[in-house]
This record gives sequence, structure tokens and C-alpha cells, in this order.
Amino acid sequence: MSKKQDQTASFMVRFNQNIFEEDGESKVQWRGKISHVQEGDEQNFTDFNDALIFMQQKLANLTKEATKDKTTEQQEGILQKSLYMWKTMKEVGPKVLMETIKDPKKQLSQFQDQIQGQISSIGEEISEKVQIDEWRNASRSDYKKVKKSINELSAQIKKLSEKIDDISKNK
Amino acid sequence: MSESIKKLEKLISFQEYAPIRIQTLGQFSIWRGSDKIDSKEWGRDKTIQLLQYLISNRRRNAQHKETIMDNLWEDGDDRDFKVALHGIHKVLEPARPSRTEPTYVIRQGVSYQLNLEKIWIDIDMLEKYIIIGNETFGNDFTSAKKAYKLAIAIYQGAYLPNRIYEDWSSEEREKAQLLILSAYISLAEILLEENPLETIRLTQNALAIDPTWEDAYRLQMQAYVAKGNRPQAIKTFQKCELVLDQEYGVDPLPETKKLMREIQEIS
Repeated sequence: MSKKQDQTASFMVRFNQNIFEEDGESKVQWRGKISHVQEGDEQNFTDFNDALIFMQQKLANLTKEATKDKTTEQQEGILQKSLYMWKTMKEVGPKVLMETIKDPKKQLSQFQDQIQGQISSIGEEISEKVQIDEWRNASRSDYKKVKKSINELSAQIKKLSEKIDDISKNK
Repeated sequence: MSESIKKLEKLISFQEYAPIRIQTLGQFSIWRGSDKIDSKEWGRDKTIQLLQYLISNRRRNAQHKETIMDNLWEDGDDRDFKVALHGIHKVLEPARPSRTEPTYVIRQGVSYQLNLEKIWIDIDMLEKYIIIGNETFGNDFTSAKKAYKLAIAIYQGAYLPNRIYEDWSSEEREKAQLLILSAYISLAEILLEENPLETIRLTQNALAIDPTWEDAYRLQMQAYVAKGNRPQAIKTFQKCELVLDQEYGVDPLPETKKLMREIQEIS
């Protein structure tokens, strides 16, 4: 049986709040830092999802390490159960990690498909759910913010695609 | 003499007369009176760990033996705990007559805690000095300055640096780091006009602990301007911009950017 210490992951999360005025509006920005105590790793974030992903990766590593003597099927089963608590990530996370065990390169390609699939479904959801009246109330800075987010997302997808292409070429 | 100065004097004199003094910041050392305890006296590492655990939990209620064992031992039993506790008593009170109550580790049934009235602990003092600094900041700069300076003098580095992978020590480490960052920034602000060079040094210390601490960049820019070194103030802003972009993907706050524009406008 593994030692208790090997079965424990502790995290320290720091949030730093910044409230400021910009473009005539009050804004709040959170800057955070998450540390994994047992390994000493840390990561800064402004989006809490990044902190969740950081935790999920560390916990998945812990599960993988504790199940390294088991068969791939058994390991997958345990990981599946282990990751179930991450409701925010349960659709994508377990699949990504399962594939990581099997084939890291294949996983990246699948991840790209999943992201693209999700983007299309998000697009559909927006067109279905967002009422035009609600958009009329949006301020100029809301539009600016949405535009900025879309641009950032597009740039990230472009980068990710380039990386996957590179990996495919090097196969 | 103001009330705050009296409180500070009392804390300073406690450091002088406390029969046991413990340093946890930067390194772990203990003094029994004026003698520094040699590491060989401890015997087992678990004895030191038990004392460090009690220090880390000193502000909570007395710790139940089972809780302590659960945190420090994989499969420890009563005997392991007794040996470690006996080790602490032996080091802190080597001349204590048998069958007398220990002075420094107080037992309440099966719970244990440190006697903070008899033990001087640097991290405890750090917090006390900073509380006085914060209370007097804005209405009594002399006391605030003195309190922050005392706190900064105590801070020799991270809390229990040889236990960074132990989760029971993390909370105190984080708390100490935030306390010292606040002390650096507050003192840097107080000294901005009187001694901008010291403000620069203090903000550099803060940034060495956390390179994303934006308040430190702003104060440092103001201090460079006060010293007539406008190019260095601009470089400080650029460093701030770079670090925030790398670490968070964000711009400096409008307040910092406004300060930068003001510096650029200086002819």
C-alpha cells in the first residue's frame, strides 16, 4: 500500500484583488497564484479555470503514480473515477488524460477536435440562447471585451493548430 | 512616550529576556538563554518536526495528540510521540527535575501547545510588529516606521525553509510572506520623500519575494523620480509591464500607467 504522504496533494491559493476605474467604469481584476506544496510548483493565473487545471493535473499525476503497477484498463477505470469530482472538467478532462496515458501525440490531436467541436456548439448555443434585446443593453466596453476575447481565443487556437501540425510532421 | 512605542519597547525587551528564543525565518535555530542549541542535541528529526508543528499551530487551540500524530507520522504510535515530546523537553529544559510539569510545552489532557508567554518566536513577533505598524500608519509615522523596521530586521527569509514540502507548514509560510510584503511596501511608502534610496531598496526586496507585486513597481518608479533618475523609473515600468504580461497576460493597472505618463511628461 502507498504511504499516506504519497496520496496527498496540498494546494495554497492566493488571490490578489485590484479594483480600478477604466473607460469610465469600475472594474475588478483578480490575480492569483496557486502552489502545489509537495512538489513546490506554482502557477500564476487570472482565470480560475487555469488553477483548476493545475490542480487536476497534479491530482491525475498522483493517481497515475499510485496505479502505475496496474493494467492500462484498471488505471483508466481508476482515473475515470478519480476525475469524476471535477464536474467542470468532466466532459473533456478524463478523455484527455486517458489519451495521455496511451498516446500523447494522439491526445493532442483529439483535444484539438474537442476544442473545435466545443467552439461550434458554443456558437450554436449563443445563436439559440442570446436574445437580441439583451445585446441592445450591452455597453461599448462589453462589445470591446467580447471582441478582445474572441481575438485571443482565435490566436490561441491558431497557435495550438500550428503546434499539432509540427508534431504531426515530426511523427 | 506614546502607547505604541511602549508596546514596541515591551516586545523588544521580551526578545532580550525570554528564556527560549526560536528563529524560524530563513533557518531554524533555538537559543536557551544566550546559548545556541547545537543540532546534535536534538537526536531525531521527528523531535524537531514536532516542535516546528507546534510552532506552526501555536495560535490555534491546544493540538490533540491524535491530530499531531496524524500530521507527522505515517504509522506512528504513542511511543513515537512520547519519544519526540520527551526530546523537546530535554532540549528546552535539560535541568528540569523529574516529576515536575514542563514549562514550555503545556499539556491539557491529551492536547499540547507552546507557552507563548515564555517563548520568543520570530514569526510571532513579526506579526506583532506589523500589527503595530498598521495601527499607527497614517497617524503616528514615528511608531509605524519603528515597528516596520523591527519587523523587517526579524525577517531573515522564508518560514522553515527546510520544510517547504510539508503541508502543515504552508499556511504560516504564506502568511509570513504576505506580512513581510506589506511591511516592505508600507515602510517604502513612508520613506518615499525622506529617503527614496531606501524606498528603492525596500521595493527591490519586495520584488525579490514576488516579482508581480505591482505596488512595489509604482513606489520604485516614484523613488527613482525623486532621485532625479527618470530613465530608471521608465525601465522599472517596462520591467513591470514585461513581468505582468509573462505571468498573467495582463497590462499594468491604470494607476501605474498614469504614473508612467506623468513621468514621461517630466521635461
